[in-house]
Amino acid sequence: MSGNNHKDHAALSAEFNKDEPRVNWHDETLWWVRQKRDKAAARVPEWELLRDTASRIKENVLSNLSGYLRQFEEEATRNGVTVHWAADANEHNAIVFSILSRHKIDKMVKSKSMLTEECQLNEFLHERGIEVVDTDLGERVVQLAGEPPSHIVLPCIHKKKEEIGEIFHEHLGTPKGNADPQFLTHAARLHLREKFLTRRVALTGVNFAVAETGEFVVCTNEGNADMGAHLADVHIASMGIEKLIPQRRHLGVFLRLLTRSATGQPITTYSSHFRRPRQGQEMHIVLVDNGRSVHLGRKDFRNSLKCIRCAACFNTCPVYRRSGGHSYHTAVAGPIGSILSPNLDMKKNADLPFASTLCGSCSNVCPVKIDIHEQLYKWRQVIVQEGYAAAGKTAAIKTMNWVLSHPGVYHSAGKTGRWFMLNVPFTVKNGLNAWYRQRDMPTPPKQSFGEWYKKNKK
Amino acid sequence: MSNPSFDSPSFGNPGSRDKILNTVHGNQPAPRELPPLPEGTPIAAGDLAPTFITALEAIGAAAYIVSGFDRITTMLHEQFPGARRVVTGCPQLSAFAEAATGDSDPHTLENVDLAILPAHFGVAENGACWITEMQMVERVLPFIAQHLVLVISSGSIVPNMHAAYDRIATLEATPASTPYGFSTFIAGPSKTADIEQSLVLGAHGPISLIVFLLDEQLSDAGYY
Repeated sequence: MSGNNHKDHAALSAEFNKDEPRVNWHDETLWWVRQKRDKAAARVPEWELLRDTASRIKENVLSNLSGYLRQFEEEATRNGVTVHWAADANEHNAIVFSILSRHKIDKMVKSKSMLTEECQLNEFLHERGIEVVDTDLGERVVQLAGEPPSHIVLPCIHKKKEEIGEIFHEHLGTPKGNADPQFLTHAARLHLREKFLTRRVALTGVNFAVAETGEFVVCTNEGNADMGAHLADVHIASMGIEKLIPQRRHLGVFLRLLTRSATGQPITTYSSHFRRPRQGQEMHIVLVDNGRSVHLGRKDFRNSLKCIRCAACFNTCPVYRRSGGHSYHTAVAGPIGSILSPNLDMKKNADLPFASTLCGSCSNVCPVKIDIHEQLYKWRQVIVQEGYAAAGKTAAIKTMNWVLSHPGVYHSAGKTGRWFMLNVPFTVKNGLNAWYRQRDMPTPPKQSFGEWYKKNKK
Repeated sequence: MSNPSFDSPSFGNPGSRDKILNTVHGNQPAPRELPPLPEGTPIAAGDLAPTFITALEAIGAAAYIVSGFDRITTMLHEQFPGARRVVTGCPQLSAFAEAATGDSDPHTLENVDLAILPAHFGVAENGACWITEMQMVERVLPFIAQHLVLVISSGSIVPNMHAAYDRIATLEATPASTPYGFSTFIAGPSKTADIEQSLVLGAHGPISLIVFLLDEQLSDAGYY
């Protein structure tokens, strides 16, 4: 992940866009997932009421998060679970490492957790001699390929089956040239079953944590979180502090929305409710802040913390579909990642709110009604004001500001621009004009509206 | 406020908890009320089982309405002739399958071909069945078995997830029941579409799922 830090979204997209057939394939695959979401949503007559309810529950959560966190800690502790608090990524990683060290364990399995991607846990543990095996099939694929996931729900959506066949041939010894999804999935099943059976620590993510009961819910289709957790002596669940919901019955609303929004399924295969460790097992919950409590104080941006990580905004986004998840250079890509990441590091992620057409499709599909495109627009203003925008963009905006605040300059600039485009079009239709790179320039009108109005108003 | 986890070994910075809670408290917006919960679109009683079965078939599972455990035994003999280790949590199937016990190492269940377990109820809108730890006997059993069979009462199906959580609250409030330490909704066989969105059944958990809906009023005549 860190290897991409020096390049911004536009540069990384340009690389992705070199292979046009692959871009088209990526685009179409994700659009297909988006269409499945539409069909699933349309089958629920009360869909909009569900979205509205989910949004309001999450608003209540954010308004009383400190209370719910205390309640959750108390209930979980009563249930025999050890609760840890991590102020940042490093502390999270140190807590996980100390649990492993205490048990003298140097190998563990992990199911999907975007939080551990955000904290770069695998890298942290690897440096300390701990082997982590990601057990979600898509995550295992990208882990073997030495890449981060490119999508929070479909981690290897950017990979063709032939490439996966090649990775499995190299690492799992499958026959060269075999790219059959059924065959490859079966090979991964055998490979990972051995890991489940031999690892004594399992780490899972958390989809929802219930303040009322101290339980947490983990949703998977593959069953990998359960295989790991129920066979391990120690279960560690890592969660961002915003994953809380007030009561168990609220799960009814979120579980109806989550998978329909994500993949168009009515529910994931497994929605597992963990409340107490099993006999003889140790269970830990790590509550991670890592910037969330600060984000909560940003009035214009706080409601991005309502996110339930369904990735509907990824699948619908015309920019995500055509630029790929790695172009976002963050653990959470796509529109939601573009409004969450500037909070974590505004300088490093200053490019992301600009990686959008502001079409608003993300906000329309969001199951918890986050105003994603409006926040993208607001982040742009904050980033320019704070001086983090790219130099070219800042210069262009400053020039535009000067032109627009001087009517005389505005009129003559318009006239000059039209003359150049009509008479010497090559001066604007060239590689030096960043706007022209992916677009055609329009044929300019002979006169401006102002000139036309002056002539015709009588 | 004292830290309830004081006695438990925690490895983070002892100041982090209060720092996080204080920042959250200082930054959280003015109180917002919880909304009323929707009930969802009702489904007529007679349509619950058919809707549930349709949902299950759409997610790659099979469902049968049966008169009793004799019928289940016959059908499982036909469906799984090669099954070597068959484990059950249903006492009515003790002649057909090994009774699961929760007192051994869960790893010993790795060679289970078929697990047959009771579940509390089904959900019509999505084909999910709610099964608690007590019914699983061992938590890993419904996940580690190559094939899974769940048995519910045909009258136990609720229309949607809102009704499902109402039912769970009722089950939890029953004086005789111990609150679950672990429980799950199971909807279909384990699956993945991580390779080019091609759906493959049998990711890490069971390759197949059959749900039997017990209807004691039913005659077996139609099945022969």
